[in-house]
Order: sequence, then C-alpha cells, then structure tokens
Amino acid sequence: MRSISLYVDKDSLIHKIDPITKLIYTFVSVISPFIIPTILVSSIFVAVNMIILTLGKVFKKVIPIISFVFFIIITIFIIQGMFYGGNSTELFSVFSLTFYVEGLFYALRIALRAINILLTFSIIILTVKPSILIESLVRRGLPPKLGYVMHSVLQIIPMMSSTANTIMDAQKSRGMETEGNLWIRMKAFIPLIGPLVMNSLVSTHERSIALEVRSFSAKTQKTFLNEEKIPAAMKYLRLVIILIFIAIVVWRVVL
Amino acid sequence: MLNQMTGGEKMENKKSLWSFNFSTMALVLIPVSIGINYVGKLFAQTLKLPLWLDSIGTILAGILAGPWVGAISGGINNIIYGLTVSPVSFAYGITSIAIGIVAGLMARMGFLKNTKRAFLMGLAIVGVATVVSTPINIIFWGGQTGNIWGDALFGFLRSQNWPVWLASGLDELVVDLPDKIATTLIAFAIYKGLPKRIIILFDE
Repeated sequence: MRSISLYVDKDSLIHKIDPITKLIYTFVSVISPFIIPTILVSSIFVAVNMIILTLGKVFKKVIPIISFVFFIIITIFIIQGMFYGGNSTELFSVFSLTFYVEGLFYALRIALRAINILLTFSIIILTVKPSILIESLVRRGLPPKLGYVMHSVLQIIPMMSSTANTIMDAQKSRGMETEGNLWIRMKAFIPLIGPLVMNSLVSTHERSIALEVRSFSAKTQKTFLNEEKIPAAMKYLRLVIILIFIAIVVWRVVL
Repeated sequence: MLNQMTGGEKMENKKSLWSFNFSTMALVLIPVSIGINYVGKLFAQTLKLPLWLDSIGTILAGILAGPWVGAISGGINNIIYGLTVSPVSFAYGITSIAIGIVAGLMARMGFLKNTKRAFLMGLAIVGVATVVSTPINIIFWGGQTGNIWGDALFGFLRSQNWPVWLASGLDELVVDLPDKIATTLIAFAIYKGLPKRIIILFDE
C-alpha cells in the first residue's frame, strides 16, 4: 500500500540517528535563524543541513520539496526588491522598474530562512520512517490514542485515495461529466465527495467497533511489540546540539 | 434521560458550546476527516477547479463532533503533512485549528439550520482564516501567500505604499474568500445529506 510519506529507506549514517535526536536538531535548526536573524546564521544552517542530507544520501529527493517554494521565492525577490518599506539604496533599474538593495536583502533573508526550514524538515521527512517517529513519541509520553490517530492517518489516506478513484469511475459510468467549462466541473464535485464521505463515515463506525473490541479504551497498561535500540552515542550527540543552541541564545542575549 | 422524559420534564437538548466529546467515534473521526481533506483536494485537482477545497474534512469534523475535535483534526492534519510531505503545512496548523474551532462552535450555535446561515458561517471561517494566516504569511513570506492573484494584489498595494499587514490581509482574503465559502457550503450540503443514524453516532 503506497503511503503518502516521502520517506526514503536507505542505510546511511543519518538514517541510523534516532528520531528524537533529529527532532531536537530540527527545533534548534529552525528556531536559531529567528533568534539571530542574520544572513550568516541562516547560511550556516543551510550549509549544515545540505551536508546532513548528502550524508543521508537523500539530497536529490529534496529538490521536489524545494521547487515547491522556488516560484514564490522569486516573486518575493521581485516584490520586496521594488516595494520594501525600508528601500532607499537603488541597485539597478529595468524597464523603469527600480530594485533596491534593502528590499533584495530582506528577500534574501526570507528566502534563506524558508530554505533552511525546508531542508531541516526534509531531514525528518526523508530519513525518518513516520511509524517509527510516532512510536518514539508514544514511548516518551505522547498519549497512545494520539499516536493511534497519527498512525491511522498514514494508513487511511492511501485507502481513501483508491476509494476516491473507484467513486470517480462509478460516477463517470453513470454519465457524470468531468470535462468542460467551470460550471460543469464544479457540478461534478458533489457527486464525488458525497459518496466518499458517506463511505468514510460508515467505515469510521466499523473502525471504532474494531478498536473497542481490541481494548482500545481499556485503562490497563499497554506494552510495545518492538524493542527500541538507541546507540549510546546519541546521548552525546543530543548534548552537543543542545549546547550549540544554548550558545546561540546566549550570543543573542549578550550581543 | 429516560426518567426525565417519563417524568414529563423538558428534555435538555442544547449542548454546551464547548463540551468535550472524546468517544472512540470522535477519535476515529479525526484521521477520517484528514482523509476527507486529502481527497477533497485530490478531486479539486483532478477536476482542475481553481480552489483548494482541502478543509472539507476539518469543517465536517467540527460540525459533527464539536470544536475540540474540529481543532484536533485541523492540527493533526497539518502536523502529519508537515512531517511527511511539506514542511510549509506546519506553520499553517494554527489556521486549520482555528477553522475547526469556528466550524464546531457555529454548528452548535445553530448556523446549520439553512443555507443562508451556512453562508454566514462560511464568511466567519473566511474571516478567521484570513486573520490567523496573515501574521504567519508576514513572518515566513514577507506577506505573500504563493497564490498568483493574491500576490499580484499584494505587490500592487505595496507599490502604492499600503501597510504590509493590510496588503497581506487582502492577499489572503482574495485566496480564502472563494475557497472557504465553497468549502463550507460543500460541508453543509454533505451534512444535510447525511442520514440521521450517522449523525447520531457522534453525539455524546
């Protein structure tokens, strides 16, 4: 069953690091450029993230994620370059459109921060199996019912996708038009979403019965099927990451 | 409740606006509503509609099981997408949560009685989504939304020196107004078409 996640299963150094360490790193890497909002800090993190992704052998897969924001970043450069509030130093002019240094720098800061956030999360997205991530969180205190909800989403979406295709075929064979002007296409939406929601809500009922039968709501202590093995070195890695973060906060407060 | 009925007392049928329904049904509704969000977006793309239509599930969850479940559906929707597909979703989780809450509250306040009221609920959702998303847009994208028309408006307003928050708010409004009204009306139409036996399942 195809999952919606972009997880790539590889045997790399980065894949071996446990999910919680990666979450801690994600926090540090995302928040730091907000604490010290300079181009230097953002660039450093971007560079570090790119190295991590390359070590994880997943660098190429980042490109679809980044290309998603590529377009908006270009428009940000254009709009801020021309109309940023603090614009005063002209850089160049094209067809009587003037671009200013301050605006372009603002756009650069935004772009670097956005790319940094994307790259950081890509580490989790591409090197952490979602089910393992959720399980790690449940082990550390995430309510198991919430863990169930998250696991369930990953399974339900591919299922509902294929139901959706079935419904589309069924309605088309009953004469529903899916091509034509906007009004025709809009009319097609309700006969598609209606049966899908009905179907899903009925299965919701069946699902909740199945869970109850398996003592979902029972108050007894639940145990895990799998064992969690975390290399001892992870403790040191986490310590290093946290120390770096403290250093950054101190830097900001002191300077 | 049976005692009350046979005793001839007036049956209390107005739920508290904020009452917390966390039955297993409500819980299982959450991933299903996220699935409905996903398929809504899928259908919209397949039919090449100029709308996102990716919040139908969140609003339905709020309508059927109240503001808390609506909020959690919205929040988890964006968290899951953030961790598996696109980090951008993370930031806008707050918007999804707000939409779920408003849908749940207004449904309980009686805004599902007829189409006109549902339309008003849609407007409220548009308002909330715009107000919540705009600060996020400003922090992350300098005020833009990624939508061509909205950003074109933003660029134009900024060229006329309109304040950032206003230009950005209007950018977001342009994107949200058609989409969220359509989403709310579709959720309303679906709700109206559901058999009572299904709706009852989600009552406390």
